[in-house]
Amino acid sequence: MTVDLSVHLGRLQLKNPIATASGTFGYGLEFAGFVDLGSLGAISVKGLSARPCLGNPPPRICETDAGMLNAIGLQNVGIEEFLSEKLPKLHEKGATVLANVWGDTEAEYRAVVERIGDDPRVAAVELNVSCPNVVKGGMVFGNDPAALHALVAAVRPATRLPLVVKLSPNVTDIVTAAKAAVDGGADVLSLINTLVGLSIDVETREPKIGFTTGGLSGPAIRPVALRMVWEVRKALPGVPIFGIGGIETVEHVLEFLIAGANAVQIGTASFRDPGVSGRLVRELADWCDRHGVARVADLSGTLKTRPRPEKTYV
Amino acid sequence: MVVNEALRILRTVRYDAAHFSVFLQAGSIAAAAKPGQFVMVQAGDGLRPYLRRAFSVADVTTVAGVPGFELVVRAVGVGTEALGRFAEGTPIPVLGPLGVPFPIDDLKQPDRVALVAGGIGLAPLVLLSRRLAERGIPADLFYGGRNESEVLKRPDFERFLGAHRCRYATDDGSLGKKGRVTDILGSALEAGTSYRRVYACGPTPMFRTLAGILDKAGIEGSFALESEMACGFGVCLGCVLPGRDGRFHTICTEGPCLPPTAIDWSRV
Repeated sequence: MTVDLSVHLGRLQLKNPIATASGTFGYGLEFAGFVDLGSLGAISVKGLSARPCLGNPPPRICETDAGMLNAIGLQNVGIEEFLSEKLPKLHEKGATVLANVWGDTEAEYRAVVERIGDDPRVAAVELNVSCPNVVKGGMVFGNDPAALHALVAAVRPATRLPLVVKLSPNVTDIVTAAKAAVDGGADVLSLINTLVGLSIDVETREPKIGFTTGGLSGPAIRPVALRMVWEVRKALPGVPIFGIGGIETVEHVLEFLIAGANAVQIGTASFRDPGVSGRLVRELADWCDRHGVARVADLSGTLKTRPRPEKTYV
Repeated sequence: MVVNEALRILRTVRYDAAHFSVFLQAGSIAAAAKPGQFVMVQAGDGLRPYLRRAFSVADVTTVAGVPGFELVVRAVGVGTEALGRFAEGTPIPVLGPLGVPFPIDDLKQPDRVALVAGGIGLAPLVLLSRRLAERGIPADLFYGGRNESEVLKRPDFERFLGAHRCRYATDDGSLGKKGRVTDILGSALEAGTSYRRVYACGPTPMFRTLAGILDKAGIEGSFALESEMACGFGVCLGCVLPGRDGRFHTICTEGPCLPPTAIDWSRV
């Protein structure tokens, strides 16, 4: 059986639902020796800003149980070097590129997106409104629905490319944030970014991360991510979703699709195994073949929930 | 070329409760590895440890006739402890060789160099000693440890470099001079010995002191630096150290071997 792996996230068409997450896949080119970049559904590149950014002083990372904390601070080469040095090579390799962007202010976000414009080598723009590791910008927008709405609305006219908004899980209600982003003009939602965490060296009584707190990623966050995907899918059934959070195996990919994601992004797992994303594309095709699933898109949002019981006092 | 391959453990040799050597089958990494380069090793496929760990390629050798390479390990946490518990024959994922090696191609006779090791920082200097010996470049070793039993791989260093070229310093005086390794190097420099280049690996305080000594003496250095890293190939940007130019240097790809003058030691 030939399995149709293609998925459509609104106007964003991907050859398969396996993408890679921003901040864990560099500019894609670093992985060329481990993965056929053109075989992936998409590559979300390291978050780009209007000017190059140095990032935070070390220590920037530490391992935690089933995951890691990071506070890199959005170190990146800046949009100009990305467009002149990285993007042509990615395009040459047949990569489907998501340009992940951020800024300290609404004007900076808009400037980066305007610079990308309608560049045909970019498949979509992904707004990072959820980085917990910078003093300004990032999560400031992601935590406030009104600010998020205003930011997305301000950026929306700057490009005709599909606009993806990557949401922060560090909110009371993910659906409120999702609605604010969609009302502002988001075509697709990515969820989730990292969860704010803290790890302490008990000998020195210092935080293990220089920024004090960091973003938790890896398998530890997968159930939280999955729950948020499911909630947003229920509340906004027509809005396409990239599911992100601790995905390492084909079973994890399937969980996210069933919960309601249309595609997934592989994050921290690429640090552990640089070839994992390419392998998951093949394994997903094999799984569908073995299970008689002709179109992978048909799996999306097929969770069979049981009715929750009424209160049962004795 | 960097490869990601599963390599079998050929042998594990324990030195004491905390220190051991793991010999892995050569794969395609051993032949390509240069002194100062490192590998990222996944100690098991579980969630603890979750990330790979970085180890210097300590030596390229054979175990009972089987080509392999050696990692010298100090068990300091879940990752390093897990690596010491595998049975011989167990395949483990290894990524490498990674990073910028020690610069040695420009050395020529009669250049003379020094090697400075602090504690577990001996690891990359074993393979360096082997390669320098093959090239006929004379090298003096200055090796500091807590005590005699923590000075590892002595027979190898003395075989490659000559016992008369190996000097030791220990905290308790059980081997060589009582004191720090930077003291015995400093004494040698004060006595008029000069070196074309000083290669070093050790803890941060040793690096900081040594950087000052070399700067004052006007001697070039190459330090194999260490930093916690998630990926090992320039992607996570977790392993940076502050540079004198105001940038952060990514240790896994710009290093691990960097001149001490590249680093702002006051901010490390």
